[in-house]
Amino acid sequence: MKLAVVVQRYAADIGGGSELHARYIAEHLAGHADVRVLTTCARDYVTWKNEYPAGETRVHGIPVERFPVAYERDPRDFARRSSLVFEEMHSVADELAWLDSQGPVSPALIERVRHVAAESDFVVLFSLRYHTAFHGARAAAGNAVLVPTTERDPALGLQIFGPVLRGVRGIMYNSPEERALIQDLHAAGHVPGLTVGVGSQILAAIDPSRAATAFGLDRPYLLYVGRIDVNKGCAELFDYFSQYAARSDRPLDLVLIGTPVLPIPDHPRIRHLGYVSDQDKYDVLAGAEALVMPSYFESLSMVMLEAWAIGVPVLANGRCDVLAGQCLRSNGGLFYSNGREFDAMLDTLLDDPALADELGENGRAFYTAHYEWPVVERAYLDMFERLAAGAPASRMEPLPGWLAARPRTARPGAAVVDAAPRGPVPADGKRETES
Amino acid sequence: MAADQHPHSGRRQHFHRGRRGQDRRGDRRPSPPPQAQAQAQEPGQVEQADVDRIVKDIKARIAQRHGIDLSAQQIQELAARRLEAILDPRTVKPGLLDQLRKAAGAPADLAPAEPADAYTFEDHTIYDTHNGLLRFLRKLLAPVLKLFFNPNPIAAALNAQVRVNREAARREAERERTQAEWNALHYTVLQRLVTEVSRVSIEMQSLSLRLESLTTRADFTERRIRGLEAPPAAPPSPARTFDTPAAAPAGGAARPSADTVGGDAQAPEGRRRRRRRRGRRGSLPGGETAGGGAALAPAAADLAEGDEDTFDDGPDGDGPEADDAMPPSPASVAVAPPPAGAPEPAPPAPTAEAAPEPFERVEPARPPAPAAIAPAFEPPESPGAAPADSSTPSSEPSDR
Repeated sequence: MKLAVVVQRYAADIGGGSELHARYIAEHLAGHADVRVLTTCARDYVTWKNEYPAGETRVHGIPVERFPVAYERDPRDFARRSSLVFEEMHSVADELAWLDSQGPVSPALIERVRHVAAESDFVVLFSLRYHTAFHGARAAAGNAVLVPTTERDPALGLQIFGPVLRGVRGIMYNSPEERALIQDLHAAGHVPGLTVGVGSQILAAIDPSRAATAFGLDRPYLLYVGRIDVNKGCAELFDYFSQYAARSDRPLDLVLIGTPVLPIPDHPRIRHLGYVSDQDKYDVLAGAEALVMPSYFESLSMVMLEAWAIGVPVLANGRCDVLAGQCLRSNGGLFYSNGREFDAMLDTLLDDPALADELGENGRAFYTAHYEWPVVERAYLDMFERLAAGAPASRMEPLPGWLAARPRTARPGAAVVDAAPRGPVPADGKRETES
Repeated sequence: MAADQHPHSGRRQHFHRGRRGQDRRGDRRPSPPPQAQAQAQEPGQVEQADVDRIVKDIKARIAQRHGIDLSAQQIQELAARRLEAILDPRTVKPGLLDQLRKAAGAPADLAPAEPADAYTFEDHTIYDTHNGLLRFLRKLLAPVLKLFFNPNPIAAALNAQVRVNREAARREAERERTQAEWNALHYTVLQRLVTEVSRVSIEMQSLSLRLESLTTRADFTERRIRGLEAPPAAPPSPARTFDTPAAAPAGGAARPSADTVGGDAQAPEGRRRRRRRRGRRGSLPGGETAGGGAALAPAAADLAEGDEDTFDDGPDGDGPEADDAMPPSPASVAVAPPPAGAPEPAPPAPTAEAAPEPFERVEPARPPAPAAIAPAFEPPESPGAAPADSSTPSSEPSDR
């Protein structure tokens, strides 16, 4: 079987998000198929500046073809167009212009996808919102398997994504919440889909005492791993934790791992370790009382899966449907919706070690059952077999013509997404709270 | 990780540490509170963590704690409604209330207003006119007028009157201003009092609920203690009491009492201890003293028959009761009489002295109580309360 993986950036040193997801999938499917990666020369997801040389290379043994990005992103133009399509009535032409403004625009890559699709069994495209996935899916419509990696983002409310989601051969969802949102917004229920997610690379030797010694972690701590950003809910986390620390005399620290975008409060109980190696990350994670995940927008949260993989319970932001849903399905963590609940959930985890350990064990079992690599690989292979056995569910709808794309009849993307049902999707697939 | 290094090298696909809990986190993790330990030990309570239930329980507990902890704005609105009720519109003019509200919100008027009708009266005022010719003629003929009378005292008197009027107006304005300030102050004080009363009333409701909950719990505990301490009721024997040793041996073989099970050597001491405890607690129901031997059998009967009514009065779904919602104690089996006409005698049970303390958790594997006794020890219906204690926060969360 021949597979092509299309993603906006690809390199061994690009961590987190859909790029890492794509790399893991490519590397693990390489054991079952002839895998080739098609990507751009960009390294920076903000500018899309061409930093890697164009041409073919190998990353961890996987052949990678890089194509140059036609132009870098203009932040002002992108901000203006984002404001238009997310907050005002607009046209399909406006949405297409927004997509071009977002980038990365690489006509050579899309042309290559068209050729590779003809000679491959399937083309797996990552991150629906980017130019590469949108136009790549259209170029490889008959063989396109989309991994949308979407969250509750206004971009998902744009009209242009509907035809792509309805026209691909199959969709690999990260979570039931993502699947429900996409089906609610774009009526893609008839397209074969599977909620599979992604595994992680868990280190063999993990030693919390090593991290305790290296970083001087001599008190119990709550751990956050990821970009320290307002968009990740870190400002709220600092607020909640500061108030918790003021109220509680429990010797608990908040330890942060990741690159700071947000100023970190100068608080005696908040410690920032910076960007650390994988070994250190897992060592610190293994010694944590719990992993805290305060983000409002997550498609899956790989770090939560990593915590569960080593038996660490999770304290998540319940206002993110995916995080709450993952906690409910795994029984591996608690989730909060406000400061009081943050305090109460944290106290519960700390007061009852047996419960915390049980949550961690549940998380480990959940990871083993759903996110171990053999499970994920099998899910992809089953999906490919299923798609190969059947005909495409529908054809890709063409883009509207010049005139048809001009009427400003499209609703603001944010309003469209806000109107979609909310809430975690429990095991039975029915939401408790729907709006 | 180097670019040319395959990620699988040095990794394995599933990490299994084999170290859990305290061992995993070293000795840094704080010891669990006794409550958590007790629940962890109880196999029926922490059998399977259910995040949905735990989160809902915690949210419910927060809502219960803070459900009537209204925001300042809500209390203000509630107080405003109460104030409307206090200031009965049938007796107080609505316009006046509006004026009071405005005055309460308006800044104090420091400078008294000038009277609207203030005027000046000078010597020439009586000759003033808009007509210039007439004014000239009056001025010309004024000396003639003064031949007949002196107008100066009249002008002086009127001038003084003007000053008096002005002073009176000033005083009146000052008085009104002061009155307005007092009214505003009174209204503000009244408003704040009503707000405070509303707040206190809400707090009182909260405390009442808590008191009711604690009362029910105390009552339940009291009855459990009595159940643990009560000796078995003797078979119907009108002449026999515990204080009549002659009658006791006759029924000794027939009743599975603590005396017979526990041995004769322990019986008098146990009886004395029970009497002492009852003496501390006061009288038993029915007004009889605790030391009265005749009261014990009715008390036991009361225990067997009347406890269900007690729990019917308790609040449902309250947390503290759920703490005590335990299976029947073996001690109750030991001291309770077998139901009349029961086909089988009660299974052997430990003595009252060997029974667990009233708050001690009971292993569910112990033999069940006879059917006639069991309902008395059944906990009140408290959906979701008992398991939630496995996740009880240790202290009150802070207000946000």
